[in-house]
Amino acid sequence: MATVPLNANGQAHSVEVSSDTPLLWVLRDTLGLTGTKYGCGIGACGACTVHLDGNAVRSCTLPVGQVGGRPITTIEGLSTDGDHPLQQAWLAENVSQCGYCQPGQIMAAAALVAENPNPSDADIDAAMSGNLCRCGTYQRIRRAIHRAAQEV
Amino acid sequence: MKAEYKQRQASTLSRRKFLKVSVAAGAGLTLGIYLSGCQGSPTPTPPPTSPPAPAAIPEEAGLLEPNVYLTVDRRGIATIRSFRSEMGQGIRTAMAMIVAEELDVEWPAVRIEQSPTDPAYGNQVTGGSVSISQHYSILRQAGGAARQMLVTAAANRWRVEAKSCRTESGEVIHPDGEQRLSYGALVDAAAELPIPAQREVQLKDPQDFRIIGTPVPLYDAPQMVKGSAIYGSDVSVPNMLYATVARCPEFGGKVGSFEAASARAVAGVHDVIQIDSGIAVVADDTWAAIQGRAVLDITWQEGSYADWDSASIRQLLAKNAPQPGEAAADGGAALDAAYDIPYLAHATMEPMTCVADMRADRCEVWAPTQDPQAAKRRVGFITGLPQEAIIIHVPHLGGGFGRRLEVDYVVEAVQISQAVDAPIKLVWTREDDIQHDFYHPLSYNYVRAELDDTGRPAAMPGVRSHPMLFGVPTGYWRSIEHFTEAFARESFLDEIAARNNLDPHELRRELLPARASAVVDLAAAQAGWGSPLPEGWGRGIAYYATHGATHVAQVAEVSVAPDGAVRVHRVVCAVDCGTVVNPDTVKAQMEGGIVFGLTAALKAGITIKAGRTEQSNFHDYPLLRMDEMPVVEVHIVPSDEDPSGIGEMGVPPIAPAVANAIFAATGKRLRRLPIRAEDLRGA
Ligand code: FES
Ligand code: FES
Repeated sequence: MATVPLNANGQAHSVEVSSDTPLLWVLRDTLGLTGTKYGCGIGACGACTVHLDGNAVRSCTLPVGQVGGRPITTIEGLSTDGDHPLQQAWLAENVSQCGYCQPGQIMAAAALVAENPNPSDADIDAAMSGNLCRCGTYQRIRRAIHRAAQEV
Repeated sequence: MKAEYKQRQASTLSRRKFLKVSVAAGAGLTLGIYLSGCQGSPTPTPPPTSPPAPAAIPEEAGLLEPNVYLTVDRRGIATIRSFRSEMGQGIRTAMAMIVAEELDVEWPAVRIEQSPTDPAYGNQVTGGSVSISQHYSILRQAGGAARQMLVTAAANRWRVEAKSCRTESGEVIHPDGEQRLSYGALVDAAAELPIPAQREVQLKDPQDFRIIGTPVPLYDAPQMVKGSAIYGSDVSVPNMLYATVARCPEFGGKVGSFEAASARAVAGVHDVIQIDSGIAVVADDTWAAIQGRAVLDITWQEGSYADWDSASIRQLLAKNAPQPGEAAADGGAALDAAYDIPYLAHATMEPMTCVADMRADRCEVWAPTQDPQAAKRRVGFITGLPQEAIIIHVPHLGGGFGRRLEVDYVVEAVQISQAVDAPIKLVWTREDDIQHDFYHPLSYNYVRAELDDTGRPAAMPGVRSHPMLFGVPTGYWRSIEHFTEAFARESFLDEIAARNNLDPHELRRELLPARASAVVDLAAAQAGWGSPLPEGWGRGIAYYATHGATHVAQVAEVSVAPDGAVRVHRVVCAVDCGTVVNPDTVKAQMEGGIVFGLTAALKAGITIKAGRTEQSNFHDYPLLRMDEMPVVEVHIVPSDEDPSGIGEMGVPPIAPAVANAIFAATGKRLRRLPIRAEDLRGA
């Protein structure tokens, strides 16, 4: 066990966990930020995507000890009241089915549009193909990203 | 959030005073519907997954609760109870739309809460795509009964005839067309009135529908995009521990002996115990439970399937079944073929999970399950508790697809909680989920048709399916054997057409009844059937009516690269599901069903070796990805027939549509799934 500093959604925390614990489980079990989901634990589905220093990372394979004090943003911290243009576009396009993969999808998309405000279909394919959706909402995710890009 | 969640779940039905009457419901089935006394009911706490409710109403407030499906409060808020599980198919929204339509309120005045697990709702199994078709009338009557009581209350106050009043947007309107009373102002008076018998409930003319048939966004979507929707894996109760289970990797095997010291030595691990399905590691958090399990030393006792593998299973099935070529050998104008389907996993995005709090005299369970009543029965069976002492809550399901009709994870969670005398959250890893599924069965499928002298069969050919239903655990998988039958029959029709130079679209029209033909025609027309495609592309068509309900036709456009890689560019889907409750959900379910079917057609199969599943995670059980997603266009046939299901129906036609398109592009006939590049290389 170690005392690990964490800066999640603008809040400083210090957590007592073993430092090899993946960030995902610290977010979910220790901080109660359950919007970030577990899907595979091996970096193969994207359900656990959060931002570290503004970049999309898979929190299931990132040991919390390697995070240091760098800023983490989870779906709960993406906007103050679900009003990020992507969250709004997700509602406008009625993307969600079971919704389980969607926080990870939105975090991946948010990192994409932050860097590339008007992504092409090929850009979307490149940025989003690591985020699986078993319910099959890809077509609507693509539309929602284009819609948000138009509105930003 | 956590406290609120518990509180909400503990409210509702059980604490209220109910008078039980029996009301005849549709389709000859009799449901017990509880009719309530309306005073003194507790204010329902809004669910954590609903939009913010208007200001709280006073404690003493009355509530109109004409049946178990809804309440109306003094603010005019209608709270509608979903008694089926939400797993992405939009059932909570659709059921509430039907009630709200007949109640005649605006959608923003609707709240949805998950019902308790209670026989008052009849059967609560969410499966077979029947939630709407079985309850359409019941839900209309439930809303209509409340509306009628509110109208009577207003008419009494105005001293006019009830039938001269009408309603609109949560208000009763006086015959003078001027005076109005809001539902909220009428609930106390309405609650005193007798509840109308079902046959006396006046339903709307469908022409006047304002909610049914319109694209209403999913009620839970705002919480989903904020990460605040509560799935089974997100439930947390005070003093909860986390558990993983090591199960025998080989089907039918069990624990021989185990050594727990190394697992107990892992920081955060509390306990290592044996339960029916294996060895459980109980810890402070998920990671410790996973780490503890990783160092467990278990000697498994082999079961009787140790020498099973997919090839030998297939051989066993085919051995006593007819073989392709028999038709030709018989002479005459018959054709036959055999098609292979592998085991398939559900791979719900949220792996199995369950929270259980087992006490001496009661058990509370949070189970993302499609069958909460089965969960309740099983918990009663394993604990000896009476049914009244068992509470099953149903949070959101991160996908279901039939996997959550099983309650194995509920049994595990309750056994662990009982053993450690603490509430626990059972966590399945993806590896657990892929390796301990109840798979869609591997099957060998033989089809044969006698053809007339124009090369046509007299009727739709029947499929003789030989699935393996023992040894490897099998279960319900979105569209069940319809997936299998559609692949065999619809591929075979294409073979008949190709052999006899018939148009595959025309051949189906000739064999299908009018309503089905119309769906096939619509798909073909929208897809531009017969129009030219780029070099190396092909177009394929397939039609299927899953469960005999809901007609779906799909046309796929594909290309095949020289290395055998298949790309599906476009899928045009036509669907006739009778009266449409939520057209956007119909489209979403067709899109989702197509993706589910494409994964099975192109990506993933489960193979068995040495009595165990070879695959373990998404690296070797891949799902269709964003960059492989075709353009999908869905066209709905307008209809005023009774509504039929949509959850499974998009799945079966896509695999044969793609295989038929590959044949059109390459001349190669593929008779086994998943479709492999090596089967097409140099085609
Ligand atoms: S859970 Fe992290 S990528 Fe799947
Ligand atoms: S919406 Fe269910 S997995 Fe994506």
